[in-house]
Amino acid sequence: MEMDSLPNGNNTATGTPTGATVGVNSTPTPSSNLPRLTESLKLEHQFLRVPFEHYKKTIRANHRVVEKEMSAVISGVNDAAASNFSPDDAVNHLNSLVSRLQGLKRKLEEGNRAEHLQAQKCRVRLDHLESADAENMSEWNNTRLKRILVDYMLRMSYYDTAAKLAECSNLQELVDIDVFQEAKKVIDALQNKDVAPALAWCAENKSRLKKSKSKLEFQLRLQEFIELVRAENNLRAITYAKKYLSPWGATHMKELQRVTATLAFKKDTECATYKVLFEAKQWDYLVDQFKQEFCKLYGMTLEPLLNIYLQAGLSALKTPYCYEDDCTKEDPLSQEAFRTLALPLPYSKQHHSKLVCYISKELMDTENPPQVLPNGYVYSTKALEEMAKKNDGRIICPRTGLNCSYTELVKAYIS
Amino acid sequence: MGESSIVRGACDLNIKMEISSIKDAFDRVAKKQKLCSSKSQETVDQVGREIEQALAALRSPQDPSTLADQKSVLTELKLKLNAIGALQQLEGPHKELNTSLGKYQKLLEKLLNPDISKAYRNVDFDSHIINQIIASHFYHQGLYDLGDSIVNEAGEPDATALRSQFLEMHQVIEAMRTRNLQPALTWVTANREKLVQIGSNLELKIHTLQYVEVLQNGTRADALKYAKTHLAPFASLNKDDFHKLMGCLLYAGRLENSPYSELLSPFHWEITTEELARQFCSLMGQSYQNPLSVVFAAGVEGLPTLLKLANVMAAKKQEWQEMKQLPVPVELGKEFQFHSIFVCPVSRDQGSEENPPMLLPCLHVLCKQSIIKLSKNSTRTFKCPYCPAEATVAHCRQLYF
Repeated sequence: MEMDSLPNGNNTATGTPTGATVGVNSTPTPSSNLPRLTESLKLEHQFLRVPFEHYKKTIRANHRVVEKEMSAVISGVNDAAASNFSPDDAVNHLNSLVSRLQGLKRKLEEGNRAEHLQAQKCRVRLDHLESADAENMSEWNNTRLKRILVDYMLRMSYYDTAAKLAECSNLQELVDIDVFQEAKKVIDALQNKDVAPALAWCAENKSRLKKSKSKLEFQLRLQEFIELVRAENNLRAITYAKKYLSPWGATHMKELQRVTATLAFKKDTECATYKVLFEAKQWDYLVDQFKQEFCKLYGMTLEPLLNIYLQAGLSALKTPYCYEDDCTKEDPLSQEAFRTLALPLPYSKQHHSKLVCYISKELMDTENPPQVLPNGYVYSTKALEEMAKKNDGRIICPRTGLNCSYTELVKAYIS
Repeated sequence: MGESSIVRGACDLNIKMEISSIKDAFDRVAKKQKLCSSKSQETVDQVGREIEQALAALRSPQDPSTLADQKSVLTELKLKLNAIGALQQLEGPHKELNTSLGKYQKLLEKLLNPDISKAYRNVDFDSHIINQIIASHFYHQGLYDLGDSIVNEAGEPDATALRSQFLEMHQVIEAMRTRNLQPALTWVTANREKLVQIGSNLELKIHTLQYVEVLQNGTRADALKYAKTHLAPFASLNKDDFHKLMGCLLYAGRLENSPYSELLSPFHWEITTEELARQFCSLMGQSYQNPLSVVFAAGVEGLPTLLKLANVMAAKKQEWQEMKQLPVPVELGKEFQFHSIFVCPVSRDQGSEENPPMLLPCLHVLCKQSIIKLSKNSTRTFKCPYCPAEATVAHCRQLYF
């Protein structure tokens, strides 16, 4: 993946080390930034996909309206041709069809406007992606972090903070607050133990949910059934089961049986298998299920983007040294919160030495090679030179207090 | 260098080309969508016109027994609408639109990474901790509204622990921006001992700024008095600086035309402000860099490598979830290098307390275990793997980075 500079061993094998072969591997040159730019822009699938799904959804809904209205008008004409209307009735009938068409025309115009807006949003995202280049990358990444924080907040239902952050950073076009409005309605209702909006959402997205073999609707129906049993409304529960649960029998018989068995119990049953079905947390579970389906439908990752980036970053940063007491404060892993998050993650791996000067915190490499004090402590040449200059050529080891002359130092060769 | 800039250019071009091909594909989608919607409008208009015509025919003055006539008008309308085939007319362009929608989606999936959660390890990632990190992130940047907002909305009252300290820091910095050094001086005075302990001469730097202000705007006597009270205590430890500052006295009020004009540069204000923020964070036990930004930036750099790795390991999902160390290095920029990591060039092992780096007499460095191995358990001399020099274990000494 990375281009190694010439391995040191090849050079030094022919003689004692000299300045020319000094050896800490040089750090990646800036040229590696651009492949990085490409790679890092490729992470932005969701950024383009979500507004596109929204656009597609609007197109589909509009088309459905036109189709429905148009076939209604045509069958209206067919009915008129087949019936024996009085002249007045015929005129009235056709008039009603005309006004229906006018209504459709209005809807079409509205729909067209909505489609246009969605298309605009898709374009803004594409332009934003295109605007990233090596020069403005750090600013672009700042915006990226803000976008991803908004994504996190929306998924966690912190809508106010999400809206504030988007507004104060002028990100409205780059985040999906409008898409999540749709989810908010359903989630709010579920938290109030109302499945109706969720069921409506399922009906609206029926074909796509079916394609992905979603059982969200079934789970909502099961909950409604449980609520009837809880209210000891057993007869209605049975009718409900016949109508709404039995179609799922072929694919989800086990769950269906378990839930219908609650008819034999009451809401305060101690039987563990059925007790859980009456618990309030089932509603939280439904919210989670809905969020998952919602994300899937819009082409979002199931986890918040923030979590994905944090995991990757923590894995890349995690070393055993991070957990030591003297870990530098600049390392995020010196903080308890990040340490806890990183706990279940793997340590990073290094193929080459990477040395940081204890004094200056600068990388010790070819330009700033490591020097060894008589006591074995190592610091960067630059830091030691500076200390010697200020200190009449004396070096004081900041960790042991050892006092020695700059001339006693030796350069270490590290490959 | 020449070669790498070509590589750079090529990569740059590559991603730009890919984005522009996505844009083209989107233009095609938008075009089809326009076509589709104008076709719908047209069809609606067409059907509407036919019905209006039939209506006009029905309404036109007729002789009383025209029921048959009325019937024929309606039948004719029905036939005409059949001939238009409104529904088929709607369907055609919509199908084409669907095709280009599908193509666009496929293109996105091909050119971008359609699932960046592939490298995600399914572990408990506590949202309380993340909320607290986000709140601190906002406070750190001085965005109190946002910090308070998430603390309220997420119900994390404990996340405000750092709020007041960061607030104080931002007040001091804000004052410095308007050239008011009073809050900064109050803070450095209050924290003098701690600052000296960590070897910072921030106090001198802030007094220097104030002294230069006095030199420019006050009398020479004012400046001398300021120097006596506030700069003199630093004289013994910072001789050079002190001499320079005293030299300035000769040019009070006209520093810009003096050898010391450099002291007027706003740059001094910038770096001193930055250093104050740094020391302030350091005394708070916090990092100067925003830790969430650091981890996120490392994630942006590291994630592509991790995704490649996850693809290679797709068949070994279990292993992915359980490994204790990544099997490959994830290269990060040097700004993410917080610790010295020694990797033995012979064994490729990472240095540790049990297996520390050792300096050979020829000044090459290997880890202890490699040296023991090379010396057949410390029993004989060995040749350095990197040069012809011979060494014994007794002549090697441990290094501390």
